[in-house]
Order: sequence, then structure tokens, then C-alpha cells
Amino acid sequence: MNIRSVWRKVLYERQPFPDNYVDDRFLEELRKNIYVRRYEYWSVVFESAVVIQQLCSVCVFCVIWWYMDQGLLSPQKLCEVGLGFSLIGYLLFDLVDHGVGRKDSGRTRWDDLKSSLVFVAFTYGFSPVLKTLTESISTDTIYAMSVLMLLGHLVFFDYGANAAVVSSTLSINMAIFASVCLASRLPRSLHAFAMVTFAIQIFALWPSLQRKLRAHTPRIYICVTFLFGIFAMGGLLSISSVGALLFFVLLLSVTFLCPYCLIRLQLFKDNIHGPWDEAEIKEDLSRFLD
Amino acid sequence: MTVKIFFPTCCSPSENGLLIGRWLEEHRSAVVLAIVHFPFIPGNVKRYLAGLERETGLRLAVLGTWSNIKAQKDEQMESFLGDLKSIFIHRPWLRITREASIIFWDCRIEGVDEEAEEEVVLVYYDQRKVMLSELHDATEHSEIATVFDTVARNRTLFALDRYDEGPIKLTHWQSDGVEASIIVELCKQASVPLCALLSFILSLIFSVTRALGRKPLSFLWNKLSTCEQLGKRLDSLQLICGTKAAKDHTLFMRKASTLVSLLLDVILGIVLMSWLYRGDHIGQLANALMPVADRVAVELQGLLQWLMGAPAGLKMNKALDEVLGRFFMYHIHLWISYIRLMSPFIEVILWYIGLSACLGLSVALSVLSDIIALLTFHIYCFYVYGARLYCLKIHGLASLWRLFRGKKWNVLRQRVDSCSYDLDQLFLGTLLFTILLFLLPTTALYYLVFTLLRLLVVLVQGVIQMTINLLNSLPLYALVLRLCRSYRLAAGVKFRMLQQEHGKCLRLLMQINPLTYGKVLQQYRLPSSNLYPKDSWGALCKKLFIGELIYPWRQERDKQD
Repeated sequence: MNIRSVWRKVLYERQPFPDNYVDDRFLEELRKNIYVRRYEYWSVVFESAVVIQQLCSVCVFCVIWWYMDQGLLSPQKLCEVGLGFSLIGYLLFDLVDHGVGRKDSGRTRWDDLKSSLVFVAFTYGFSPVLKTLTESISTDTIYAMSVLMLLGHLVFFDYGANAAVVSSTLSINMAIFASVCLASRLPRSLHAFAMVTFAIQIFALWPSLQRKLRAHTPRIYICVTFLFGIFAMGGLLSISSVGALLFFVLLLSVTFLCPYCLIRLQLFKDNIHGPWDEAEIKEDLSRFLD
Repeated sequence: MTVKIFFPTCCSPSENGLLIGRWLEEHRSAVVLAIVHFPFIPGNVKRYLAGLERETGLRLAVLGTWSNIKAQKDEQMESFLGDLKSIFIHRPWLRITREASIIFWDCRIEGVDEEAEEEVVLVYYDQRKVMLSELHDATEHSEIATVFDTVARNRTLFALDRYDEGPIKLTHWQSDGVEASIIVELCKQASVPLCALLSFILSLIFSVTRALGRKPLSFLWNKLSTCEQLGKRLDSLQLICGTKAAKDHTLFMRKASTLVSLLLDVILGIVLMSWLYRGDHIGQLANALMPVADRVAVELQGLLQWLMGAPAGLKMNKALDEVLGRFFMYHIHLWISYIRLMSPFIEVILWYIGLSACLGLSVALSVLSDIIALLTFHIYCFYVYGARLYCLKIHGLASLWRLFRGKKWNVLRQRVDSCSYDLDQLFLGTLLFTILLFLLPTTALYYLVFTLLRLLVVLVQGVIQMTINLLNSLPLYALVLRLCRSYRLAAGVKFRMLQQEHGKCLRLLMQINPLTYGKVLQQYRLPSSNLYPKDSWGALCKKLFIGELIYPWRQERDKQD
């Protein structure tokens, strides 16, 4: 046998080596951290605004519900304010990108009007049913259910990450479910109507406006986020100072601490890549699939 | 090699003669059927056997000689019997000799190879029993089956008794006189014109029912178990009244069992009728029936009141509860007024219905089943409403749950696909989902309660139906036959060893094993309508869970409420 026979990394040839043999060149192909990304601290802080917005939305929704439940806020006023904000938002929605998005999606004003009519009509029609829906169910059950659903909404919300767990449909549905549950605890059917309408505005319409603002006018977006955060905090402060403090800490940590941690922890990243990895299909195969 | 000789016990006291029987080459055994006595003309014997062979298709032969020595050996007789071998040529040639004082017989076999030592086994059998019995579960060409077959097919041989002026004199089980009964013979004679007449009447009735069973009316007929019962009764009558004799044993047993169970059914029905019409039991029944129906309605009302409150501490949606409760209450109210309206006529109706009992107990029972179905019609309605509502909710919830997760059912590919919905679709779907989810317990409770009630009624009807089936399918004739003439239905045979002596042939007594009762039931059960659900228990539970209607199955052939 020739001692100096050269080992080749193939299995289809009979070689004088055991199957698990490797030679000295084994680690030559080792590469480390090839997919690591360098983050800028302030850009990460900017991106975290989406999370802040969603946290604030849930907080504002809960605060408004609390006010309604206590009778401090009349449903008429909520409807009026909500309508006003919706109209402003609707105008902004078109103004921000000068109608380009609308042209691309092909939605007409008539479609918008129809959708809003469907919302209002069905919510108004079902609000007496909603009011009596959970009468016989314990309040604690309802609270637990709503908390779960709102947490689910926060978890599944589309923050722009590319992950399997993200599902904007599920997230919106969970928020609506929670709002229906909470609305059914309110004293009258008009309250329920106002609550569900408000839920649609804050959970369905507001995020789509945000997305546009963020894409086109980042500065205004930051300002709006800041103002919204202040507003949510103020509302929470009027109910419970401890809650407001905790919420403030949460917001601060999400905005500043988490990006810092992310960037610090990047230093400890130690991924190795090599020929032992699973095969990855890089080529675009869609041309075979017509 | 062993040679078995099956010898009928009835022939043992007979005089000297020739053994007639069949030689089974493949089993090496001889079945002796009869003994021919002196005097005979050999040509006549041969001709007689040839005639029998044409009739039965079995090859019979003179197997050997039989000598019954009463006092002392007659050398001349012996040699004469030995000479017969040259007239009736048969290999092997049996020579059986019985001596009066000795119980062991002397069996010799001649005409086989000399060097092979032949051992002889003498098997005694009761010819009458073997002829009449029907062997079950035997393989086609087994020895015992062949023996039974041989004996059974030679009935004509046994029809000749000693008083007949035939060419030859025979000894077999009937040689002292043929067994028969005058009554049976008369019945046989009378049954032919009777059956012809009955089948003519039946064909008339069939044409009438066929005219009535056309499309619009058949819808009504196949809902009533009475009509089905009557149809079956007609079918069985037609089976009995067929003018042709039964071809084989199975068909004969089926006819006989049908006849016996029909007779029993009618007798029981007439007993029931006489009880009903003697002492005004009809009136009492009618008086009892109305309060019972009323009572059921009142109990249902109470149940509904309970459901409309907080049943078993369950918290239900008050508004829906109220609506459903009132709806069902109104239904019961309608029902009560209907019963009140009916009550004056109920006795007359019952009187006429009671007449149906003369057609048989099973008809009366199916009428009872129909009456129960009619009197619990409100429960059936409740069940259907409850099931429909529940089914709607379950299906709605299932599809809205898919919407909730952002999925949809792809009909073309038969699977769940993801789908992007519009905002208004999502909103409406979730709103409806929430509402249906919170209303589900209320509907489910109503559904559960009414399903249980319905199952109770179905259970009662099922028990009645099972009784009817039992009456119709019990093979009474076979059972009675097994009880009184156990040898008629044979499962096999057993051999009892008789006293032995060294150097003499082995002697066995063949006895018939009767069929067990379980086997009799299994083998001769009459066909009955299969009313049991085709679903397994799991499928039934699944149907109950998703709110499909269970009892009036929605398949083609299904029947009844």
C-alpha cells in the first residue's frame, strides 16, 4: 500500500482510510461569524420605536377602557375624538406619500367608505348582543382572557422582523377579541360600540398610518412616538402611579437598554461555519416552478 | 392395512344372506346397507342393484356373505356361501359369521393380496338415525360424510319392506314395516292445493302493494315500521307458500323455521288480542295513555324551566337561554293542545289498531313502536332543532377559527391554506367568532339535554325492534328438532369401544354427536332486517359531537321514525 496516497474527501472511491478519517486540511475551511451585522446604536433606538408604539397603544386602550368602565369618559366623547383623529389620520395617510400608495394598491375612496360603513354598522348592530354576551361569565375570567389576548397581540405583531411567529392577521384578531371581551363588561351598549370602534382605530388603522410615517417622515414619526408615549404615560399616571413608573421603566429599557445589550452581546457572538453545515440553496429556483 | 366395515345394528339378528352395500376404495371401508335373504335369483339381485344405481347414482354391490349360525355349524351352508363368491365377483369379498353363543363375530376378507395382513374394524351404526341426520361442518369427501351420504341417498332401498312382493327379500331398518303417519301424509296431500291458492292470493296482494308503493306514498310507508313488518310478513308467507318442494336441507329448514315462528307469532298475537279485548283493557290503556303523554309534556316543561334558570349551576347566556326556552315552550304548548284534541278519539283508534295483533305479535309490537314514535314527536322535533343549531354553531366556529388564525379551507386541494384577509373581513369574522364562542355553551346544553331524551326514545324503540327481530329470526324448528330429535342435526360422530378379545376384530359403536345449541342458532338463524347503526361507536360519538342527526340515518336504505 502506498503510504503517501493522497486522501480525497469522497465516498465513492475506495481509499486506504477509515470512513471517518480527515486530514490536516480539515479546519482550513472554518469560518467564523460570517453573518454578523454591525448595528449603529441610534438606528437601533429608532427601530425600537415600533415596539414602543405598540406598547403604548395597548396601554392607551386599557386606560380608555378603565375610564369608560368607571364612567369618567362618556362614549359620545370617545366617539367624537376618535372620529376626529381618524379623519386627521385619513388625510395624513394620503398626504404623507402624496397618494402614491393609494394608487399602487388600487383602493378607491368608495372602498374606504364601504369598509368604514361595514365597521360602524355591524359594531352598532351587534353592540346590544355584545353587552349581554359575557354577563354570566366571571369578570376575572374575562380579564385573564383579555390579558392573554393582548399579550398575544404584542407577541404576534408584525414589527418588521422576518420570523415564522409573526402573523399580523392573528395579532389583529387577538386584539379585536380582547376588545370585544372588555367591551362586554361595560355598562351600556353604546359604551360597547364606542369601545370596539376605538379598538379598530387604535389596533388596525393607527399601525398602518405609523408604517407610512416611519417610511416617509422619520422625524415626525419620532415626535409622534414621543408624544404618544407621553400621552400613554399621563393616562396611566392618572390611574396608578406605580403602574406608570413601571411602564416608564419598561419603555426606557426597551428604547435604550435593549439596543445597548444587543450591541454588547454582538461581541460575544461566536458562530462557526464550515463544510459540515447543512447544504443551503442559494440559487433562485423559482424559474423551475412556473 | 385396515378395512372398516360399517354394519347396521338392525341387521344383526337377520338370517343368512348376502351383504349389499358400497365399497369406498379411497377409505378402504365397506358400508353395509342391507342383507338379501334366500331364496334369490342372482340375476334378479344384479338387476335390482343396477336399477338402484341408476336412481341414486351410487355404485352398490354385493359385498359378501352373512351367516348367522343359530345352533351348530352347517358345513354345507358354509360351502354354499363360499361358492357365491364366484357368482358375485367383488374384491374384497367379506365373510361375516355370527355364532349364537359368542358375541364376537368372525370377519374374514378374501380376494385381496395374500401377503398383506388385513385387520378388520367392525363399526356398528344405527341406520335410521344415520339416514335421517344431517351432518354439519364435515369436509366434502371425508369418510364419515361419505358414509352418511351413502345411507341418506339410498332411501329407496329402505322403502321396500317384507310385505312387499318384490323380486328379493331384504333386511334393513324398515324391513318390518315402513314408518309413516297418516296425518303427515294427509297434510302433505292437502298442502299442495292450499299453497297454490295462498300464493295466488299473495300475488294479488303484492300487485296491490306495488301500486301503493309508488313514489309519493312510499315516502310515508318506509317511515313506519308497521309497514315494513307487514312487508316482511308477506315475504315470509310467500316463502312458505312456494308450491315447489324445498331443494336442499338448508332451504327446507328455513321454510320450516319460518312457518313455526310465524305460527308462534300469530298465536302470541292472538293471545295478546284476547287479553286486550276481554275485560276492556283497551279502554284502560287509552285512559292511561293520555295522562302519560300529558305527563311527558309537563315534565318537559319542567325541564325547560330548569334549563331557563341556571341549570346545574352552569352560567348560560341569559338572553339566548330565554329565547330558546320560550321557543320550545311554545312547541310543547302546541303539542298539548294537539293531544287534547286527539283524546276523545284515542280509544276508538286503539280499538282498531288492536285488531292488527291477529297478524302476529311482531306486527303489534311494530305498531307500538310507531305509536311511541308519534307520541314523542315533540322530543324528536326538539332534538332536530337543537342538533341543527348546534351543528351550525360548530361549523361556524370551525371556519371562523381558521379565519382567526389567518387560514382558510381550500376546497380544491382539500386542505387548510393560509390566506390574507381584508381588514373588514377580519373584523367581522372575529366579532362573530367571539359571539358564537360565548353562546356555544347555551346551545350545547340544550342540544345535550334533547339528545339524551332522544336517545332514550331511540333506546326504547330499539328494544322493541330487537324483540321483533328475535321473534322473526329465531330458528324455532331447528331448536325443537335439536331438543327432541338430537340426532337429526349432527355435528360429528363418536365411537364407543365394545368388549374386545385378543385375535378377534375390533368392534366399535358409532354414535351421533348432536350440534350444540349455539351452532344451531348460528347456522339456522333466519335473515332479519339489519336495523343496527352501521357506524362504530367512535363514529357515532363523533356524529353526536358535531351535531349530525343520528337515528334517522341519512343513508339510502335507512328508515324509520
